[in-house]
Amino acid sequence: MAETTIELRNPSGLHARPAATFVKAATGFKSDIRVTNLTRDADKSAAAKSMLGVLGLGVSHGHTIRITAEGEDADEAVKALREMVEAGLGEAIGG
Amino acid sequence: MTSTLRGVAAAPGVARARIWRLPERGSDTAASGTEVGLSEAAERAATELEALRERLRSGGRGEESEIFGAQAMMAQDPELLDAAQRAIDQGRSANEAIRDAGEDAAATLAALDDELLAARAADVRDVAARIARILRGEQPPSLQQRSIAVALDLPPSITAELDPALLAGVALEAGSRTAHAAILSRALGIPAVVGARGLLDMAKDAQEIAVDGTTGEVFLDPDEDMLVEIERRTAAAGAQAAADEALHDRPLQTADGHRVMLAANIGQPEDSKRAIEGGAEGVGLFRTEFMFMGRATAPDEATQTGAYAKVLESFGERPVVIRLIDLGGDKDLPYLPLPHEENPFLGVRALRLADAGHEALLLTQLRAILAAGEHTGRQPWIMAPMVADLSDVYRLHELVAMAAFGRTLGVQPKVGIMVEIPSVALVAELVAPEVAFFSIGTNDLTQYLLAADRTNPGLAERQDPLHPAVLRAIARVVEGGHAAGIPVAVCGEMAGDPAGAMALTGLGVDELSMDAGAFGAVKRALASASLTDLRGAAEHALHAESAKDVRAMFESMLAPEREAVG
Repeated sequence: MAETTIELRNPSGLHARPAATFVKAATGFKSDIRVTNLTRDADKSAAAKSMLGVLGLGVSHGHTIRITAEGEDADEAVKALREMVEAGLGEAIGG
Repeated sequence: MTSTLRGVAAAPGVARARIWRLPERGSDTAASGTEVGLSEAAERAATELEALRERLRSGGRGEESEIFGAQAMMAQDPELLDAAQRAIDQGRSANEAIRDAGEDAAATLAALDDELLAARAADVRDVAARIARILRGEQPPSLQQRSIAVALDLPPSITAELDPALLAGVALEAGSRTAHAAILSRALGIPAVVGARGLLDMAKDAQEIAVDGTTGEVFLDPDEDMLVEIERRTAAAGAQAAADEALHDRPLQTADGHRVMLAANIGQPEDSKRAIEGGAEGVGLFRTEFMFMGRATAPDEATQTGAYAKVLESFGERPVVIRLIDLGGDKDLPYLPLPHEENPFLGVRALRLADAGHEALLLTQLRAILAAGEHTGRQPWIMAPMVADLSDVYRLHELVAMAAFGRTLGVQPKVGIMVEIPSVALVAELVAPEVAFFSIGTNDLTQYLLAADRTNPGLAERQDPLHPAVLRAIARVVEGGHAAGIPVAVCGEMAGDPAGAMALTGLGVDELSMDAGAFGAVKRALASASLTDLRGAAEHALHAESAKDVRAMFESMLAPEREAVG
């Protein structure tokens, strides 16, 4: 199992457009990938391949999320998703 | 026989066409016999949504097309479909199962304390409804001929799906000027009337409909006389558009140059742009209820501050009047449990909430307004609705002081009241020295003064603010306000009605605040008469027999299009 923790810096949080980018990327992997919003509720996770699940985590600017993956491409998946979040998921995040 | 209804003018223009009704929610009986399974229906829904996205994108509507990209992903969402499948396995019909799953997902989003995400709730419901429709084996709604869409509300995907070449207009029972269908109508240049209460009931057996998106009127099965009138209005609408353009850079003034401040009524920060482009000299009414609707918890101080700051920022030096929430028993909000009332409009609402255990709700809003003023360095104008007398004014000042406690205010807010309860109009001169401004809410003032329920379409004719009694109340408020040296504005629909604007100017009102869509018509109306004439007419109106007579008098003073432009 692979895992990473990262802060979301998109100004409006993980709203529809960046969430779609994230979910599309996750769907490209075979592993079972889950996301948790540690800032809001560390006990609730959602499937990274579910748009509604990801939106439902209510990830706002400055929230910390944990991405975990289990499966043959788990390491690659976590690495790729982390890089995408760091790069702003297609949005300008400044800094 | 023609039946007439008045709603909110949402997109200008006049059109007449056959009625097209949004198909009703399908029943389960319709679902039986269809062969499509859940996953196939979901796939088809996603394909439809993708196609819709492509169509909008290639049509240069990239921004809007994004909604459908997100919806296409929702249609294929594993969590949504799994939840629905589990319900089906437990014996529920597929139609119900997908709707319930969509409703659950929507509720989760709506409960989040995040504006943007909460707004996606409607998108999920819309997606679930689409899948359910495919499950029932029904085709997407489409227009066969030139029609005007009549519905309670039109979800975004359906509005976008209707062939714009055949869509002649929109009439909605619900919705606001900022409803998606209204925005789309303005973009397409077709007339729209929204918030026409009683429309569906009245349109039940009608074949044809005419909408006047400039006045907000809806006519069902127009008769011969009405058809002539509509023809005339259609022709005039074209001429007016040109005339409005010519008047755009002129201030709001009478033929002899008496200036009246032109302000905009807005319902959310996004409306600012249109108001500024239209030439608004400020915001006379910023309704704040939009932030409080459709969510599980009240918006927190930071969320509210952001919204208020955005508007203060957009208008710069120009004044922005922020109205405190006008919520009451008519709105069913989870975080504002109010006992059932027979007459919620005469009940515990707005400022009265402070003494009914909901003081914190008002204090949070006041703190957010003060914070927005600090952040932007702009002076916020705070307006309280439902003020009945001097005691209420003192209570309001007390609340503002409580909200300001511990805060060093660089900019002091202006605290004023909305004059809508007849009692406060009667004691206007007592109240005026204690407030910074009056803004007359003519919609409620009229319904309270004339005992004519605004929500009852059967009483439409008894709700004209040009009634001599309403005009006398307004005259009294103007007199009281001016004696104390404070400005008197009007922010009800009367201000945006040409005849109403003329009467108000004649009565000495300093500012007219209206939807930006009415700017052109009101400028034209004032330009057609001198202040002396308007004063004379207003004086005469105070002694008229009825609102009808007063209206006829002011309308006869309106110059025809061409003269007003020159």
